[in-house]
Amino acid sequence: MCKMQESASTMVEGYLSLENIILRSIEEEHDELSCPQKEETSCSEKEELIDIATLVQSNCSKVPYYDLHIIYSASYRVPVLFFRAYYGDGEPLGFNEIEKDLPAHSAKALLDSKWMFITQEEHPYLNRPWFKLHPCGTSEWMKLLFHVDVSVAKNGVTVELYLLSWLSVVGQVVGLRIPLEMLNQQ
Amino acid sequence: MAADSPSSVRKVVVHLRATGDAPILKQAKFKIPGTDKFAKVIDFLCRQLHRETLFVYVNSAFSPNPDELVIDLYNNFGFDGKLVVNYACSMAWG
Repeated sequence: MCKMQESASTMVEGYLSLENIILRSIEEEHDELSCPQKEETSCSEKEELIDIATLVQSNCSKVPYYDLHIIYSASYRVPVLFFRAYYGDGEPLGFNEIEKDLPAHSAKALLDSKWMFITQEEHPYLNRPWFKLHPCGTSEWMKLLFHVDVSVAKNGVTVELYLLSWLSVVGQVVGLRIPLEMLNQQ
Repeated sequence: MAADSPSSVRKVVVHLRATGDAPILKQAKFKIPGTDKFAKVIDFLCRQLHRETLFVYVNSAFSPNPDELVIDLYNNFGFDGKLVVNYACSMAWG
């Protein structure tokens, strides 16, 4: 479940951004870990990596925050998810740490299938290294998604609907869940 | 295990549809408790087809998160008394 701490959805210089969000909650898979109830209840499975001695203190400031940007790729002609993660103190997560933080089931499935994979490259607007989900497979699986939708075949698809469908797949890699009601707007 | 209420035993009919060059299942329709997560459908498919991964999606052009409950998916996207789940194998270039 997605917990929004501070979120900003803005279109700045041609991309969509959702920032400072916590994507893991205490209800997620590794809930055998106990985290004392504080006002923050989002302790992620990151805690598995902390050794037992510190687990008692249950350091919830080690919850990763994510920035997600959706940027259109002119060369692939599809949207691309750029993302980065950092702890509350600002320390960024490296690739290995992010990989461990991704939701085990869905992320692994999508990444292993080679429908998409994570690369690190310079953010086209911010000129800093971000992670991205490589877009080379996007048009293929987007075609599959829309292939079975009769109304799309007839009427085409709006940008909003395209992005929702796209995000339903891409969101599974980072653990962002789209509410079903949002997707059910036919 | 005894059911506490009718909703806890309510089963959803799932119809699995192969798309692209994915193999077709001999038995494509089955019932699953509505309280099960979609992950069970995905896992079942992968086991039946002997594949590690599949691209799984519903008719309304989206791929359900594995944590979604089957009953919620049915309520939102089911029709004709069933939930149609499409699946595809790896893409041609992969």
